[in-house]
Amino acid sequence: MLLFFGGIVTGTFGAMLGLGGGVFLVPFLALAFGLPMHQAIATSIVAVIATSSAGAAMNVERQIVNLRLGMLLEIATVCGAIFGGVTANLLSGQTLARIFAVLLLFVSFIMIWRTRRPKTEDGATSQNGTFPSSFKDEATGTVVSYTVRRVPLVMLVSIVAGNISGLLGIGGGIFKVPAMHMISGIPMKAATATSNFMIGVTAAASAFIYFAHGHLNPFIASPAVLGVLGGSFLGISINRKIKGTALTWVFVVVLLLVSIKMFWR
Amino acid sequence: MSLKMKPIKSPFPQHVVDRWISHVLRFGVWGSAGLMVAGLFVHWLSRTATLPPAENPTPGEILRRLCSTSIDDVTLMYAGLVLLMLTPVLRVLTSVVGFLVERDRRFVAVSLVVLAMLLAEFFFSLRVAA
Repeated sequence: MLLFFGGIVTGTFGAMLGLGGGVFLVPFLALAFGLPMHQAIATSIVAVIATSSAGAAMNVERQIVNLRLGMLLEIATVCGAIFGGVTANLLSGQTLARIFAVLLLFVSFIMIWRTRRPKTEDGATSQNGTFPSSFKDEATGTVVSYTVRRVPLVMLVSIVAGNISGLLGIGGGIFKVPAMHMISGIPMKAATATSNFMIGVTAAASAFIYFAHGHLNPFIASPAVLGVLGGSFLGISINRKIKGTALTWVFVVVLLLVSIKMFWR
Repeated sequence: MSLKMKPIKSPFPQHVVDRWISHVLRFGVWGSAGLMVAGLFVHWLSRTATLPPAENPTPGEILRRLCSTSIDDVTLMYAGLVLLMLTPVLRVLTSVVGFLVERDRRFVAVSLVVLAMLLAEFFFSLRVAA
């Protein structure tokens, strides 16, 4: 029951901040439940598949996802994830916890960057690249058309994001979305939806490895996954009502504290 | 890398393929959630000790247990988790069919590469575990 509610809380926070459940779920399982890092990561990676697939089901139907770009970048993220999953199973829990602590520092910086980013960005989109796509922005009612620039560079970022995903049990969208937006000129909404679409396949790639190594305990994973799934829906609906930079700063402080705790675990 | 897009010649509108992918993802998520809820419910009813098996069963073993007359809580939960892990694989398989229908050979090949990587890794992981 505690795991289910823990999943709801971490899933809600993750969705409210656009981070996915993993960033909060792994420290929660490792610190609050004292779970070995490998088990915490295995549980998180399965929860990530659930939230990604549920979100992608909606985004694909609304045609916000750039399907072809997503499929191509999946080759890169899957390569990275397999390598990450294999590496994680060779490292000790202590080392993984320390790497996770460093990741939380990065996430905090990216969140601070996000608060300084201008809120309206879909005005100027690239029209001379590849993977042409368009989607209807439901907030403004306009159709946004764009193309994708510097695909090889964004593939490189995808390998790194996939690697971190497989190694630490997070989705990796926190790295891919800013890269897709800044390097390739993809509008934020399409970048977020396409990244989320790829995350399910990326997470599945490393989930098999953790499963095969026996790190997936059904009594822990089932309630946690169900909680995170419920929490992500709750987080999205709260996000529509509450928007605040102050809230982000509260979470940045929480992430920094968790980072210190994970490092000295 | 040059990946200039060709206009789609398919008689199927693109949103049909999108809808297929969407259905597969929904089926996977809600099917696995249902199995996990059922597993937790059976566990709560039986009030047995919360002890995981010494090692994870193989997907084939889970399928065999599901088809048997005595389904237990652990099998239901594992079935949910495995279905969830296979959902993205099913989604990639749907993409292969979708791009075939759209006659986009280049992306049939891209989807097949992703599918081959996932399947190879899946079977290799199971072999290593065995």
